[in-house]
Amino acid sequence: MELDKSLLSGSMTLLVMKLLEDGDKYGYQMIEELKRRSDDTFHLKAGTLYPLLHNLEEKELVTAYERKAAAGKPRRYYRLTKRGAAALVEKETAWDTYAQAVGKVLKGGACCAGA
Amino acid sequence: MPERKTIQEYLEIVEEQIRWKRARPVVSLELQRHLEDQRDAFAEAGTVPEEAERLAVEEMGDPVTVGTELDRVHRPRPQWGLLALTVLLALCGGFLRVWLFAGSEHLGSGLAQTALSLALGTACLLGAYFLDVSFLGRYGKAVYVAAIAVGLLSLWLSPRWNNVSYYTRYVALCYPVVYAVWLYVCRGKGWKGVFLAISGGVPLAAVCALTPFAMGLFLLLSVGLLLLLAAAGMDWFGVGRLPTAGAAGGCAVVLSAAVFRIGWNDYFAQRVRIAFHPELDPMRMGYQGMLNRLALSGVKWLGEGTMPRQYVQYPYEVAVPDADHSMIPLTIIFKLGWLPFLLLMLALAALLIWLLCRCLRQKSQLGRMTVLAVVLTLGFQLLFSLAINSGVVLFSAEMPLLVGNLHTVLDMALIGLALSVFRGSSIAREDGERERLVLRTVPRIRIAFQHERDTQNGGCVLGISLIFSKDETKMMESSSI
Repeated sequence: MELDKSLLSGSMTLLVMKLLEDGDKYGYQMIEELKRRSDDTFHLKAGTLYPLLHNLEEKELVTAYERKAAAGKPRRYYRLTKRGAAALVEKETAWDTYAQAVGKVLKGGACCAGA
Repeated sequence: MPERKTIQEYLEIVEEQIRWKRARPVVSLELQRHLEDQRDAFAEAGTVPEEAERLAVEEMGDPVTVGTELDRVHRPRPQWGLLALTVLLALCGGFLRVWLFAGSEHLGSGLAQTALSLALGTACLLGAYFLDVSFLGRYGKAVYVAAIAVGLLSLWLSPRWNNVSYYTRYVALCYPVVYAVWLYVCRGKGWKGVFLAISGGVPLAAVCALTPFAMGLFLLLSVGLLLLLAAAGMDWFGVGRLPTAGAAGGCAVVLSAAVFRIGWNDYFAQRVRIAFHPELDPMRMGYQGMLNRLALSGVKWLGEGTMPRQYVQYPYEVAVPDADHSMIPLTIIFKLGWLPFLLLMLALAALLIWLLCRCLRQKSQLGRMTVLAVVLTLGFQLLFSLAINSGVVLFSAEMPLLVGNLHTVLDMALIGLALSVFRGSSIAREDGERERLVLRTVPRIRIAFQHERDTQNGGCVLGISLIFSKDETKMMESSSI
């Protein structure tokens, strides 16, 4: 099923930051990882990812450094900063609240959820 | 949208959308690497090379949209506030240099000369502000060699006043920044780099000593040591933080001991003693210090002060030597009062503290070191100028932006350099690859201690391991309990 892109765009920052939670990654690696973790559902364009990453770097939520990747080529790795980790927790909480609310509405409202 | 087939074409379009030229290669390189990764992945999956490149470009998204988005993120960060504060302080200094001595024929600066220096200073401030600081890193060796060459040339050509090479003093004030650049050049070279970093200070110090310019030498050695320690903190040489700091500290101790052994004689001891007690030799070595202290004893909060009774027949400018140059801060206090002076110092201190705070938040290590060198150079000058003006005459030091026409030009250029670091901070990139490569090739020996409680016997076990590693891989480990 083709996913509506507007559903994805709002949560992309959260997903990218979440990818960095368990280790530093470079852009290409993030796209592949997102594809793998979402069972091929999320196809993030690199043209969307890099402005987003540079924006996060500007806000000091991620930091970047250059290092040789496994293939021996130099790559720019991104790392979640302490501030970024705190922002991620906030974003996750906000997302949970949002997702639960959407779920309740889709199931007919809080009063009828159990019905 | 026309179909883009090659990576090169795609990158060109992205770059065209980014208005800040300095950001273009930085952004483009990352996108290029990504495109190459994607192309190789398609090729590995069996796609023919031309088709693999076309698909990689297609996967990337619209280059105009990508370029526009990146253009929004990467903009120079203007530093108009700090630029305005610097110009305002320099204007204030220039005005005071002319106005405070308007009635004296041979004292103070001429109006035309001061105006020229302010115009030149502003040009240097803006010139340095728009400079790409990464240029200093790229051509670090050339910058270092040129600085020594200019120093030697000025030693040869500059007129000598009081046996001091006049213009070399100004060249020497740039040497802490040059040393910061030199440290950057020595980055990632292991122990050879540490040796080069320390010995690189010798020619610069020799120029200061030949000038002779005690304040310049002091600045170079003290700021140089602090920069070396900062470089150790970032493990620039790849031999570990503590060993580098140890080497820097060791050199500082050896150098201080050598200076005391060779240079500490009766004259030097007397000079230090009289700096703190000018009353011991009030008519010779302590004269300046005595007069400064006497002038300070009669100042007011606002308005002109009065000289003590024994000097009341002489105007202040005649009684206090160098009142129109190094002692301008004292002249401001004496003629205008403490309040205007403190306001000026507050503005100057705010500028330096602001620069320091921004410096510590810099991502670019070269940028951070450059700003640190500028702030420390200006900060030390400010402190020593305050000391000399309050009667503790150790080194001849000039108050940044307030004293001297040429001095003001130089101060403005240094501040412009620091501001250019902040201006370009959104695209600050480090050549971390080289650093990390060397880190891997330097062999390391590490001793690890582990303390554990033996749950069966209730005792404690202390384990000691000796680990040899190279290329970040453990080569040998020997442990004993």
